[in-house]
Amino acid sequence: MVTELNDGTFDKFIEGNKLVLVDCWAPWCRPCRMLAPIIEELAEELKDKVAVGKLNTDDNQGIAYRFGINAIPTLLVFKDGVMHEPLVGLRPKEEIRDYVLGL
Amino acid sequence: MDVIIIGVGPAGLQAAIHAARGKASTTMIGKTEDSAMHGAHVENYFGIEGRTDGSDILKRGLTQAASFGAEHIRENVTAMERSGDSFIATTENDTRIEAKAVILASGISRKKLNVPGEKEYFGKGVSYCAACDCNFYKGKRVAVIGDDSEAAASAELMTSYASHVFWITKDTKASDIMIRKAKDAGAEIISEEVKEIMGKEKVTKIMFSDSSMINVEGVFIELGARSSSDLAMDIDVMPNTDGTISVNERCETPVKGVYACGDVTGRPWQIAKAVGQGAVAGMNAAAYIKGDRVV
Repeated sequence: MVTELNDGTFDKFIEGNKLVLVDCWAPWCRPCRMLAPIIEELAEELKDKVAVGKLNTDDNQGIAYRFGINAIPTLLVFKDGVMHEPLVGLRPKEEIRDYVLGL
Repeated sequence: MDVIIIGVGPAGLQAAIHAARGKASTTMIGKTEDSAMHGAHVENYFGIEGRTDGSDILKRGLTQAASFGAEHIRENVTAMERSGDSFIATTENDTRIEAKAVILASGISRKKLNVPGEKEYFGKGVSYCAACDCNFYKGKRVAVIGDDSEAAASAELMTSYASHVFWITKDTKASDIMIRKAKDAGAEIISEEVKEIMGKEKVTKIMFSDSSMINVEGVFIELGARSSSDLAMDIDVMPNTDGTISVNERCETPVKGVYACGDVTGRPWQIAKAVGQGAVAGMNAAAYIKGDRVV
């Protein structure tokens, strides 16, 4: 399951989960549309290990600004509340999975 | 129109020959010089001995396709849309062509600028999608790099967001309409070659070959015409993450009436494979129009 996040729920989601992946996207972004089904598959495959969320950067510019996002899709990755290097752009499923599980 | 073929490389031309011979009214859209074959010397294609210029073969293929009745529009397609069971292609001169079937044959995206700083600052000011990232550059100075109508369209788009837009085009190939739109929107045209994208944590400037510089926070790289995978998304065909489009043995995509052939379907990037798939796509598109089915 991919949890829909917003500026108000974002921090609690990061704090409440050990390993977190957040897909930052916007409706008009074509690569984001291509990434969305991959993120959904990953959320299902890794449901016991990784909490997966998505954040519409158009509606939630506070988080986008806070994390310096200036390209989408961007995948924010957190372990124990600490942010690691984001993955920017469209990536294959295996690369995203290996990166997150390798932290 | 029955069939629109986007791209006039080996896949698109072979598709046009078979679609037109299959009695489908066929329009090819594209420029032969945009084909990866254009600058290539061909020496591994059946029946052609010695090194032959790819551009010569393309020229002959275009004449041959036309002789079977296929029409040719020498423009780039800037957008696609679905209209009921039909598809509409819009070109850089705002021409709209509607057809019952589409064959995507304009190759894969090879859109890297290959200058220092491009890779380092990707996601930190460098973007390949103005439509995706425009919102992050409100009130900032940005540059759009590219010579084609696609770059002009992005420059025009960015003027609605950025405080100042430079459109960097060394050798403009955009249509007059698109150039005028970008200029009227306020984009400043710079005819220089980009040498390096520079910055600290994020992009701060671009340096040109003559060592002059401009300060920008965003750099949008928009090289070449829109690729098959870009256009595919307009009509609900989702490419793979590597930009390829999956097709079945009939070169059909998951969307009824949409076919893909050539480099865009993945490796090997060979003329023989492109031509083979072009034939399959052209025959099947013509059969689809007539209500038959070819396997």
